[in-house]
Amino acid sequence: MITAEQKPIGEIRKMIEPYKRILVLGCGSCVAECAAGGEKETGMLASALRMAAKMEEKEVVIHERTLDRQCVKDFVIQLDDVMDHYDAVLSLGCGAGVQAVADMYPERPIIPALNTVFLGETKEQGLWVESCVGCGDCMLFFFGGICPLTRCSKQLLNGPCGGSMNGRCEVDPDLPCAWQLIIDRLERFDALDRLESIYPPKTWSKKQGKGPRKIIREDQQRV
Amino acid sequence: MTEKRPLTLALFYCQNIPDSTRGERQALEEQYGSSLRLFPIPCSGRLESLHLLRALEEFADAAYVITCPEGNCRYFEGNFRARKRVEVAGDYLAAIGLERERVGFVANEKDNPRCLAALAGEIMNRLASLAPSPVLNKKTGQKGDAP
Repeated sequence: MITAEQKPIGEIRKMIEPYKRILVLGCGSCVAECAAGGEKETGMLASALRMAAKMEEKEVVIHERTLDRQCVKDFVIQLDDVMDHYDAVLSLGCGAGVQAVADMYPERPIIPALNTVFLGETKEQGLWVESCVGCGDCMLFFFGGICPLTRCSKQLLNGPCGGSMNGRCEVDPDLPCAWQLIIDRLERFDALDRLESIYPPKTWSKKQGKGPRKIIREDQQRV
Repeated sequence: MTEKRPLTLALFYCQNIPDSTRGERQALEEQYGSSLRLFPIPCSGRLESLHLLRALEEFADAAYVITCPEGNCRYFEGNFRARKRVEVAGDYLAAIGLERERVGFVANEKDNPRCLAALAGEIMNRLASLAPSPVLNKKTGQKGDAP
């Protein structure tokens, strides 16, 4: 899941200031799950912006709508009928959603209302934790399903560092030592031998450096 | 300058508050007229920050929720959630320059539970120090779903 947080309202208001007809556009997928950009949050932000406009006696129309997904063209296309009504769209989608809407409607400014933060999981109600850096070369098999790049403060591929105490990280004792978790899990599977290999430095070219990454699945494409 | 007019309170309340039946609600509505809009909810945990903001946007000078005593919720944590949601709504108000006091949370007392009418009256008295909302009676900032 992609996680995000709402930008400060002051920052949002500055960005939308030049526009008179604004569509506040939520997304019902990841950012709804992390309570940043779903229907409820979209309604709250739109309400707050309308109240702010009324207080300043600004002539502005602020409507709201939430798509099931902003990052898939087949959902975004639902805006075709309404887009002419607006000068700008304030998107509560993740960075991918904002850009997908912008690609579909190049003549409209699409303004981000969220800061996209990380790929993560819902640990408990109201708590989301980063669990994947999207490195493009998943090594979870070797590390018992625990990613040292994300969960080890030192991002060690050949740990542990030797600094952990009682299973806690020396950099941040609030965190469990990722390498302790890795060893515990591999031991449970009788697979500690996977740690006998030396893992070379990560090939980060698979993550960044050649422009946006793509996944192409011909079996999923239209003929 | 904001014109003087009677204030309107949007009051959400848990239906487990003593003496909060339909008849008692109607009596309160008759007593306070358009100054009090009552919204019974099955548990204060049903309240969303959005409800408070919408009320303030559309008709209310203040929006409050009355809950069961904290720790005494029939559904365990409804009133704890309600308190947090009132705080979130307050954050939104502060961010746009409205007073946080326009939203509020009142928990009934465990040892001395009071009825809806008493709690509502107390909140209405609190509002006396509040100015009319600058949001209301303005035609700008039109609301609505996308066409």
